[in-house]
Amino acid sequence: MFIISNAWRSVMRNKGRNILIVVIVAIIAAAATIGLAIRNAAQTARDEGLAATGVTATIGVDRESMIGQARQRGGDETGDGQPDMDELRSAIAVDALTLDDYERYADAASVDVATYYTEQTALDGTDGLQPVSTTTDDTSSDAASGDGTDGDGDGTASDAPGGAGMDRGGMGGAAMPTGDFTVTGFSSDTAVANAANGTFTMSDGQVFGYGEDGVGDAIITAALAEFNGIEVGDTITLADPDDDAVTYELTVVGVYSNDSAQNVAASGPMGGTGMDPDNAVYTSTATLEALGLAGGSSDDDAAGDAQLTFTYVLGSADDYETFVADVEAAGLGDGYTVSSADVDQYESSLVPLDNLASFALTLLLIVLAVGAVALIVINLFNVRERKYEVGVLLAIGIRKVKVAAQFVVELLIVTMIGIALGVVGGAVASVPVADQLLARQIATQQSQTATMQARFGRDADMSDMPGGGDALAPDAGGAATDRSDDAGAQDDADTQDGAVSQGDAPQDAPSDAPNGVMAGFAQAAQYVDDIDATVDLAVVGRLVLIGLALTLVSALAGIVAIVRYEPLQILADRS
Amino acid sequence: MNDSPASVPTIAPDTAPPMPPREGDGPAPVLVMEHVSYRYAKGGKLVVRDINREFQAGTVTAIVGPSGAGKTTVLSLLSGLTSPSEGRVVYRGEDLATLDRYRFRSHDIGVIFQSFNLLPALSVEENITLSMQASGKRFDRPRHEVVMGLLAKVRLSPDYAGERILHLSGGEQQRVAIARALSYDPGVILADEPTGNLDLGTQDDIMAIFRSLAHDEGKCVIIVTHSPQVAQRSDEVFELARPRRRAADHATGHAADQAIGHTTGRGTGVTQAMP
Repeated sequence: MFIISNAWRSVMRNKGRNILIVVIVAIIAAAATIGLAIRNAAQTARDEGLAATGVTATIGVDRESMIGQARQRGGDETGDGQPDMDELRSAIAVDALTLDDYERYADAASVDVATYYTEQTALDGTDGLQPVSTTTDDTSSDAASGDGTDGDGDGTASDAPGGAGMDRGGMGGAAMPTGDFTVTGFSSDTAVANAANGTFTMSDGQVFGYGEDGVGDAIITAALAEFNGIEVGDTITLADPDDDAVTYELTVVGVYSNDSAQNVAASGPMGGTGMDPDNAVYTSTATLEALGLAGGSSDDDAAGDAQLTFTYVLGSADDYETFVADVEAAGLGDGYTVSSADVDQYESSLVPLDNLASFALTLLLIVLAVGAVALIVINLFNVRERKYEVGVLLAIGIRKVKVAAQFVVELLIVTMIGIALGVVGGAVASVPVADQLLARQIATQQSQTATMQARFGRDADMSDMPGGGDALAPDAGGAATDRSDDAGAQDDADTQDGAVSQGDAPQDAPSDAPNGVMAGFAQAAQYVDDIDATVDLAVVGRLVLIGLALTLVSALAGIVAIVRYEPLQILADRS
Repeated sequence: MNDSPASVPTIAPDTAPPMPPREGDGPAPVLVMEHVSYRYAKGGKLVVRDINREFQAGTVTAIVGPSGAGKTTVLSLLSGLTSPSEGRVVYRGEDLATLDRYRFRSHDIGVIFQSFNLLPALSVEENITLSMQASGKRFDRPRHEVVMGLLAKVRLSPDYAGERILHLSGGEQQRVAIARALSYDPGVILADEPTGNLDLGTQDDIMAIFRSLAHDEGKCVIIVTHSPQVAQRSDEVFELARPRRRAADHATGHAADQAIGHTTGRGTGVTQAMP
């Protein structure tokens, strides 16, 4: 009581000095509050973003690591430092995982995992069925079959799921099957719902079934139907790109229109007409199997390189981590990697937020270090200045412990007032400051993307691209010039949907993810641009703890000075 | 080290102040210095050497001596600010070294420092109550009344209670320092050059207060001074000899009590900490 009342009176007596300390502490506390609040908010956004939503994952080939290993082996053997190309090729020509492999890994997972898959193959048109194409120079047979042969060579080696895996989206691989049409087999409605070309709506008929009944059924785009005058119920005939004599018949049970087709077209012109979403034919995997087109299912070499894309659906990001570990434990080779477009997409959407969080941490550390030093210096001067007082107090018989305690209590009173003021100030400022800083981070991130694109010499369309990320893609091939405006609009929408604003983000972000990824450079546009940097009790509690620690650390200087003071010294301090 | 001379009568400890029950002929001494020597550092020069002296309750003792005789050292030894290197200081039969010296300072002895050592930022009353609180003693009256009584005793106007120390003259500060030393009713009053910078009238006034404390209230008053007038008005004079010189028996007749100090070249200015 004596200590506290003395301390309080002493604080009141030295108003000037103490107001100075209060101001310094308040500034430190305000900066620390903002830093802590931002970190808190970033952590919350991170934790909540993928916590409650499904995450899709794929297993892909990690060719880089394979080449690396092969190179090492080759180097050992040949010793001349020259890469053994044959060795390398054979090293990376690992067998694509089969359906059985994929399912085995699904079984190995210790968490709930749903699966679906698609198989994709390229077929040529026939006289009765011509692909929709803007180019007059029809590639129908000659070019396509030439491409096809090429694709074949590459494809069997490593393209199938490998390319897909490496491009995250699953289907935007570098070497897709080439032909006039892309025929995709889906294993379930979920697979259809996650179609690479985006969502679609049936304009006539209905989606095929997956059982025996549905074998031979397919749906085609409205554009294709119209182009060829096909109606529901008609039969279409497709030819093997390598051999026009081999044909496959499918019954059109429905006609659909893509909801977001334009967004997918990035690689269309580069991959031939078959990559045009309008030339996509959807059917069931059972149908492909029945036709002998399914990958690895038949010895028949004819177009047997159907590209299998197997997708795992997991309950949350945590489940995904578990799944990755489980799959590796189940014997997934070094050459394969598990990846998740959703998680990757989400991670990249968090880049500005992470930058902000690390900035906040730096700010916090600097502020605390500077604050601690400032407080220690002030306290040292304080004790020096009050040496006489200490001497008098000790001389009249007040114990050192009590004198030191009084000094600590004084400092505590002052710093707590400062922290209280600082927390209030920081709480008021944290939300606008955090928003401002995040906006700046996003702008920086976007301008970096823009700089990257400027290197390509195409920045003309950037003005109407809020994300700034898509300008290149639609123009790149020259065939899809009419799409740039639409793509811009689409991105606009995506940016808004993709923004994680606490509530709607978890639903939107993952579902948008494949589209965003398919757009190539576009994923840069979707950043988390809103955080809730409000100051909660946890932050205040942490600040008070930090304040206590700072006070005690800085009071240590004073305590040491007091403990070392000998009462006898007062006789020398008699100035 | 601790060989007590036979001449020093021992008394039961923890007897009630200010006048312990006595045995033998004469009052039991309140403070006794037994073969006290002091040096600042181990193996250093002796500042005072082999001092033997008793201080009685109810008397005013003046400690005199030239500069460098160790007056201030004796003061700090008696007030418990430091401990002797050899010998011992006994307070009411107990070795000060074994007592809690913080409690001794806050409780049993009132020291009036040469420079007063009042806290300038505090008012007169705050300075006095600080010591009262530090002593941990209980007071039968409200502190404010005690302070007012003390101010009257040292002949200061009650108006001074709320005044800052810095606004006071030297003589007024001296009175406040005395009032502070008296505030918790210690049995021993120790004053260092209490009349140093004061004019003669004030000196007399202050001395009258000290004499009254000793003679009317039975306190043991010890004054360190170099003023002949002060020594003259004291009941006993304890002369510290200049180093390397035998002290002659003093007129006041305490032939047995002599003090021999060793030169240090400096008599005041205690600057070095002691364990």
